[in-house]
Amino acid sequence: MTEKLKLGVFELTDCGGCALNLLFLYEKLFDLLEFYEIEEFHMATSLSGGGHYDVALVTGTVSTRRDLDLLKEARNRSEYLIALGTCATHGSVQGSVELPIKEKLKAVYGDEGNPMHALDPKPVVEYVAVDFALPGCPYNKREAFQALIDIAKGIEPVKKDYPVCIECKLNEYECVLVKKGLPCLGPITLGGCNAACIRSGLGCIGCRGPLPGEVNPASEYEILKSKGYDDEYIVRKFKTFARWEP
Amino acid sequence: MIIELREFTRVEGNGKAEIVIEDNEVKDVRLKIVEGPRFFELLTLGRHYYDVPDLEARICAICYLSHSVASVLGIERAFGVEVPEEIALLRELGLVGELIESHTLHLYLLVAPDVFGYPDAIRMATKHGELVKEAITIKAFGNRIRELIGGREIHGINVKPGGFGRYPTVEELERVEKESEALLRLAKRAVRLFASLEPYGAQAKHFVATDGYLWGEKIISDEEGAFDYTERIEERSLVYSFAKQSLYKGETFFVGSLARLLLKSEMLTPEAKRLFEEHREKLATGYVSYNNLAQAIELVYALEKANEIAKTLLDRGIEGENVPVEPKEGEGIGYVEAPRGVLIHHYRTDSDGKIAYSNIITPTALNHAMMEVSLLEEARKLYGEVDEQAMIHCLEETVRAFDPCISCSVHLVKL
Ligand code: SF4
Ligand code: SF4
Repeated sequence: MTEKLKLGVFELTDCGGCALNLLFLYEKLFDLLEFYEIEEFHMATSLSGGGHYDVALVTGTVSTRRDLDLLKEARNRSEYLIALGTCATHGSVQGSVELPIKEKLKAVYGDEGNPMHALDPKPVVEYVAVDFALPGCPYNKREAFQALIDIAKGIEPVKKDYPVCIECKLNEYECVLVKKGLPCLGPITLGGCNAACIRSGLGCIGCRGPLPGEVNPASEYEILKSKGYDDEYIVRKFKTFARWEP
Repeated sequence: MIIELREFTRVEGNGKAEIVIEDNEVKDVRLKIVEGPRFFELLTLGRHYYDVPDLEARICAICYLSHSVASVLGIERAFGVEVPEEIALLRELGLVGELIESHTLHLYLLVAPDVFGYPDAIRMATKHGELVKEAITIKAFGNRIRELIGGREIHGINVKPGGFGRYPTVEELERVEKESEALLRLAKRAVRLFASLEPYGAQAKHFVATDGYLWGEKIISDEEGAFDYTERIEERSLVYSFAKQSLYKGETFFVGSLARLLLKSEMLTPEAKRLFEEHREKLATGYVSYNNLAQAIELVYALEKANEIAKTLLDRGIEGENVPVEPKEGEGIGYVEAPRGVLIHHYRTDSDGKIAYSNIITPTALNHAMMEVSLLEEARKLYGEVDEQAMIHCLEETVRAFDPCISCSVHLVKL
């Protein structure tokens, strides 16, 4: 076997889910370790490489100056950088709190100013060029596994290009939007989760972000309106994970 | 002089500490939570109640279901909704699964490497493959329960005010019953391992828990009966940390496995109770490091409990009926025992069922002050006695004993 690739996992501000999801690969994690040496992964190891990474996975949003420094370091030191999870690709839920950072800090901590250098949360992709973006809150772990294996084999990982609806149809789930009138963002959300929430009989809340390309939030907006949802409700739902504008 | 601890590893989220040395003595320790704030209360403000538990789940991946359930309880109490036993049991099963998943992660993958002298579980696996394999098996089982009840391993949306999107089938429950029984033997081995370790850290003086084993109507302490958090718990902000600190009647206190065992051992399942009695003396000393032993005993509890709940549900059969939820103006607090301790979701709703006020306090925020005191005491004991590297290593272990979940701790807001 040729030399293993050096892997770094960097966590900015987030819920920990996208880092944790790697550990949820269970035995498959050991398959990955056939190809990769983990140099940095602070949730899982006390080692920290500090050197060059062949592949860097970055999770979370840039929400502090520390995050920004860490992100730049990860970018500078790595060959191939993956923005992993909707926080990193679209800002996820924390990106939807619209007040300016100063006001938010004041609401929480009082009049201390900003001694810890908090920033308005932004996805990783707004600060650095990324080589691959894998959304999902959290991303599908099989998808991440496949992407890492592809990269190790020198193949560019494939991007998904179909909505959640397709997976819903393949699974023969009843359409919750048409049949139950539940607010479901499946038609405009990127598939790959195997329609996990529709399996529960509930509407997709859009955690994988927008379907790239010809996505049509305007028609989704009209459908939800016709089901009796008010403007404010729909707009907030649209903004939650990926800040769709209807 | 200030000794900086680099950012903690093998904990969830980003934090570090500073030890302030003056006149060759440890003067102070500052526990700095550097993870950015995520403003979850602001996020839910003005939102329709139906969507709120799914968003609150995103506070933390390790214990997302505790957040969903606490959120649902807060909302249901605000509306005056009561759910039947079946729904309550299923929620409890989900929380039990989360306890299994989280404690296994912490004990085997994050703490055990310290015990065996490795930087992580992956490298530990070269010599102790059996143990790591056991961990993976138990953890996967906990996650399967989370998926069954919560809808996904991480951030499912199946837990709703008034019930569930989807109810488990008989076959799924039978599987839970069978597997929990098989795994019990492994969990007992973990108790032996963690019982053999010497104590470190500070001794907690106060303990706080909910009044039920995994959720409650109120919280209790070692000193008094049931009360609401607003009566005794006070939060304060710090300039050097994104997390606030909480005090109980002005003093530090401890929440988590150790607190639960010491305050509620009569609610334990048979084998867990026996193990608790066997180690009661040790645990009662209150050393925070015994939290790990307490977690191992709770792993036994959780496996027995999963089995018991599955049996009960199989005996009585699943009806799968949600209760109707009518939004109205109200106020409610959800108290849940997340794996790391008391979790509080407090809401006020308006007549349309929108969130008008929201306050969330997480276990790591409740333990923040206690963690700092522990580091201070430990640093005072060690400074000058061992070299700096060894001291730093011990301090990091002390932090780990709390099983802190830093991401959870940094979005507190009172509005
Ligand atoms: S994308 Fe979702 S799961 Fe991933 S870190 Fe962000 S909040 Fe957590
Ligand atoms: S159905 Fe929608 S919300 Fe659910 S996992 Fe898939 S993309 Fe995320």
